[in-house]
Amino acid sequence: MSNESAVLNQNEYIPTDADFVLKKNNADIEVDSNFASQSFWKEVIARFIRKRSAVFGLVFVLIITFFAFVGPGMNAYTYSGQNLEQKNLAPRIPIIEYTGLFDGHENINTTSGTKTVNYYFEKKLPDTFYWFGSDNFGRDIWTRTWSGAQVSLIIAVAAAIIDMIIGMSYGLISGYFGGKVDMVMQRILEIANGIPRLVIVTLLLLVFKPGMITIIIALMLTEWVGMSRIARAEMLKLKEQEFVLASRTLGAGSMHIIFSEILPNIIGPIITQVMFSIPTAIFTEAFLSFVGLGIPVPRCSLGSLISEGFNSFTTHPYQIIPPIIVMALLMLSFNLVADGLREALDPKLKEM
Amino acid sequence: MSTEKKKEKILDIKNLDITFDTTAGKVHAIRGINIDLYQGETVAIVGESGSGKSVTMRAAMGILAKNATINSGEIIYRYRDNKGGIDYDPDLDKDAQWKETDILKMDKAWIRKHINGRRMAMVFQDPMTSLDPTMTIGKQIMEGMIWHYKIDKKDAWNRSVKLLEEVGIEDAEKRMKQYPHQLSGGMRQRIVIAIALSCNPDLLICDEPTTALDVNIQAKILELIKKIQKERNIAVIYITHDLGVVAKVADYVNVMYAGKIVEVGNINEIFYDPRHPYTWGLLSAMPDLDTDEPRLYTIPGSPPNLLHEKEGDAFAPRNAYALEIDDKKEPPMFEITETHKAATWLLDPRAPKVEMPAELKARIDRMKKEAENNGSKL
Amino acid sequence: MRKYILKRVVTALFTLLAITLILFILMQLMPGSPFNDEKLNEAQRASLYAKYGLDQPIIIQFFKYVGNMFRGDLGVSYKISKNTPITQLIATRLPISIGVGFAAVLIGAVVGLLLGLLAAFKHDTVWDTLATIISVIGVSVPSYVFALALSYQFGFKLKWFPMLFSAKDVLGSSVLPSISLSMFTMASIARFTRSEMIEVLGSDYMLLAESKGLSGKKLVFSHALRNALIPIITVLAPLVVDLMTGSLVVEKIFSIPGVGSLLVNAIQSNDYNVVIALSFIYSAMYIGIMLVVDIMYGIIDPRIRVAKEGD
Repeated sequence: MSNESAVLNQNEYIPTDADFVLKKNNADIEVDSNFASQSFWKEVIARFIRKRSAVFGLVFVLIITFFAFVGPGMNAYTYSGQNLEQKNLAPRIPIIEYTGLFDGHENINTTSGTKTVNYYFEKKLPDTFYWFGSDNFGRDIWTRTWSGAQVSLIIAVAAAIIDMIIGMSYGLISGYFGGKVDMVMQRILEIANGIPRLVIVTLLLLVFKPGMITIIIALMLTEWVGMSRIARAEMLKLKEQEFVLASRTLGAGSMHIIFSEILPNIIGPIITQVMFSIPTAIFTEAFLSFVGLGIPVPRCSLGSLISEGFNSFTTHPYQIIPPIIVMALLMLSFNLVADGLREALDPKLKEM
Repeated sequence: MSTEKKKEKILDIKNLDITFDTTAGKVHAIRGINIDLYQGETVAIVGESGSGKSVTMRAAMGILAKNATINSGEIIYRYRDNKGGIDYDPDLDKDAQWKETDILKMDKAWIRKHINGRRMAMVFQDPMTSLDPTMTIGKQIMEGMIWHYKIDKKDAWNRSVKLLEEVGIEDAEKRMKQYPHQLSGGMRQRIVIAIALSCNPDLLICDEPTTALDVNIQAKILELIKKIQKERNIAVIYITHDLGVVAKVADYVNVMYAGKIVEVGNINEIFYDPRHPYTWGLLSAMPDLDTDEPRLYTIPGSPPNLLHEKEGDAFAPRNAYALEIDDKKEPPMFEITETHKAATWLLDPRAPKVEMPAELKARIDRMKKEAENNGSKL
Repeated sequence: MRKYILKRVVTALFTLLAITLILFILMQLMPGSPFNDEKLNEAQRASLYAKYGLDQPIIIQFFKYVGNMFRGDLGVSYKISKNTPITQLIATRLPISIGVGFAAVLIGAVVGLLLGLLAAFKHDTVWDTLATIISVIGVSVPSYVFALALSYQFGFKLKWFPMLFSAKDVLGSSVLPSISLSMFTMASIARFTRSEMIEVLGSDYMLLAESKGLSGKKLVFSHALRNALIPIITVLAPLVVDLMTGSLVVEKIFSIPGVGSLLVNAIQSNDYNVVIALSFIYSAMYIGIMLVVDIMYGIIDPRIRVAKEGD
C-alpha cells in the first residue's frame, strides 16, 4: 500500500485545536440535499434550454405563429381582395427599397434575353407597396402567406390534438386491460396501419367535399396509430408500478386509474409525439392542396399558395418563395422543438 | 493463495484524478486515488453507486468514455514480458522478466493489443445486456482468442468448448451455437466469465458481477471466480457495493466515497476494526439475520453531487461524527497499521475520542465469534 | 419462426381483404360510380349488372369483386379515357413510377446510411452537427419543395437535366425526380442510423467487446453495424409509403407519366373506378412490401429467428 498521507498544499488551512470538536449535526444529516433539490420538470426545461437548436425552433414557432395571426392585419389588403390592375408585382417595401433590394424590380426572361423591369413605375404606382409582391389576381402575397400559415397551423394543431385524444385513449385502454382486449385492439390497429395513408386520404376525398374538416379528419385517421402505440408502450411500463397497484387496492376504478393516475405520468412522450405530428400534418395538408384537394378558394393555406406559385415559378419566382420558406421554417422548427423535447425528457446518452 | 512464490505487484494506481465533461458541467469523478494489487490477490473496491468505482477500472483498461479528462496520476501495470501463450502455464514466473508501463501514457491501439483481453479482462454487471444479441455465444468467445493469438477456428472452437465446461456450462457444444437470448442470466454471466478468461489474463476486473443475479446463482458465480483464480493464479478486482460479497472473496478492501478512497485495509481490519465513519455506516447497513434491531440501518442522505465540490470532507454532511474541521479541510490518510489507513480527522491525535456505534460493535463481536467457530477467514 | 411468418402472412391477407371490403362498399355507394350513373340506359345497366353479377346477393358480389381484383381485372376507366381497361392504363405507367421510386429508395438508403454513420462515429463534432442539420432539413422540407428548387436550378437555370419528363431520355429526366424523392428517405434513415448507432456504441456489449481488445474496425464491422442496422429495416417500409405520397406531387411537377399523376388526374376528374383500382394497387404493393420487410427482419434478427429455450 503506498503511503501518501498528508499531501498538503502550502497555502492550505492549518487546523487549530478548536476545529477538533464534534459538530453534532445529527439533526441536519437526515435532510437529503443533493438530488431532491431539482424537480423533474425543472430539469427537463434546463436540458431543453441547453439545446440551442430546440430553443431556435421554439423561437421560430412563436414568431411564425405571431405573424400568422397578426400579419394579415398589418396592411390594408385582405387575403381575398383582388386587384387585376396590380397583378404580378414584385416585392416592394418602403425605406428598404432605397437599398436596391425589394424595390419592386424583377428580371423578365424574353426571347431576346433577360431584362429588368419595375412594374410599379411602368404602371405609375409610386405609393403602392406589396411587401412580398402580388399574385396573378393582384392579391397581396404578404397577407395571403400569413393567412395561409394561419390556416395550416389551425389544421395541424387541431388534427394533432384530436389524434392525440383518440390515439392516446386507444393505446391506454388497450395497454391497461391487456389480454384479449389488447389482442383484438392490436389486430385492428395492425390492419388500420396496413392501409397506406395515401389510400385513406384519397378515399376520404371521394366521400367528403374538400375543406378544412375533411383534411382534419384525414389527418386524424392517418396519425392516431403512432400515438396509440406510444401510449400503449408507456402504459405497459407503468401499470405494474406501485402507485397504480396501490390505488387499485384502494378500489379505484379502471378509468380513474387510466386517466388520472397514469395519464399525468406519460404526458412527456405524448407531448413529444404531438410535436412530431404537427409538421406531418402541415406537410399532408400542403400535399393535398398541391394536388388540388385542399382548402377551397378563396381561402388559402401554405400548400395552396405553393400550388398557385408553382404555375408561374419560372416567370415570377417571388410568388412561390414566401409560402415555401414559411412552411419549411415551420416544419423545421416543430421538428427541432420535438427533437429537443424528446431528448430533454429522456436523456439517452450516458455521460460517464 | 500460494505463499512460497514471491508475489509481484501487478497494478499500481497512483494519485489518479479524472473529470468528466457533461452537459451539466464538469464532474470531478475521481479525486486522487491510490490502489495497488499483487499477483493472485483479490482486492475489493466498495462504495455507493456514483462513487467512481467503475470509472477507475475503466481507466485502467483504457476504455473510458470520450468526455473524460485525466488530470493527473499514473496507472502502472507490470507484466511478464516473455509471456506469450494462450494456455496458462503454472511455471510461468520461473524466469519471468517483469516489465512495467503507465497505461495512461499509452495509446489506445497499444492498450488494445497488449492489455485488453490478453492481460486484463472485465466481467460486467448485467449479463443480460453485456453479450452481443446478434452473435452466437461461440463466436463471442472465440473472437478474442483468434484476434490476439491468431489461432485457427478449429482450435479456438475446441478451446471455447473446454472453457465453457470449465465455467460450469453443460452441453457446451450446443451452447456454442446458441444466441444470448436463449440462455438464462446465470448462464450468461458464466459465458461472460468464459469470454474474460479466453485470452488467459493476469487480472480479472469484476464490475458488480452478481448484482443482477438472484442469490442462489450469486454464490455459485463467486465460487466459480474464486476457483478459477486459484487455478490460474490471477489477480481479481471486485467492484461492488455489497459488503456481503466482499466478505466472501476479498483479501484487501478499498472503501471509496465521492471519488476518493476513504479507508483501506485487509479484510480483517476493515470488518473487525473499521475506523472511518463511512465504513461504519456500510457495515451497519449490511443485512444481518442475527440482529435484534427491527429495522435495517441506512446511511442518511445520498451520495454527493460531484458537480458541486464541497470544501473539506465530502462525507461530512452525512456524518454523525463530523468535526468542525471537516468543513474546512479535507482529511489526509492516517496510517493505523502498515496495511490499514483511513481518511478521517477522527484519527488525528487532537480529535476527541470517538468509538464506533455500540450496535456495530456488538455486531462485529458476533461476527468474530462466528468466524472462530466456523474456522473461516472472517 | 414458421409461426412468425404465418402470422404476418395472415395479417397481411386480412388487411388486404379489409381494404377490398372498404373499396367494395365505396363502389356501391358512390353517386358517380359506374354502377349507378344516371346517364346509363336500362340495357346498358342490365349488361353491366350481368357482367359484374350485380343481380346476385351482395356476399357473392363481394367475392366476385375480390376475385376480379386479385385476378387483375380492375375494371375500366370511366372519365379519363373512356372504356379503356385500367390495367392497360397502368401497364406503361407502373414501371416508370416504380423505377423512379426504386432509384429514390436506393439513393436515400445509401446516402442516409453513410450520413448517419458519419454523425454517430464523429459524435459531438462538426461532422455530427452538419449531418444532423442536413437530415433535419431533409425531414422537414417536403419533397416537392426540393423538386421545385432542383427543377428551377438544374432544369430551368443551368439546363443540366430536362425540366419535364421525356420518353426519349428516361434516365436523364429521372435524375431530378429521384433525388427530390430520396431526400426524405435519406434524412429519415440518417437520423435513425445515427440514434441507433449512438445507442449501440454506448451499450454494455460494445464495452465488453472493447474490453476484449478488438480493433476499432472489428468492433464496428462485427458488432456495431449489425446491431444498429437490423432495426433500420423496419423504418424502410413506412418510408416507401412516404415515397408514394411524395411521388404524386413530384410526378406532377416533372410531368412524369406515372401512376401518381394518373391518380391525381383521376381524383380531379372524379374517375372513381380508377381511384379505387389505384387504391387497391397501392395497398397491395404497400402490404406486400411490409410483409417482405417483416419476414426479412425475422430472418436477420436471431432474437426472432431462434426461439427461446423451451418455446
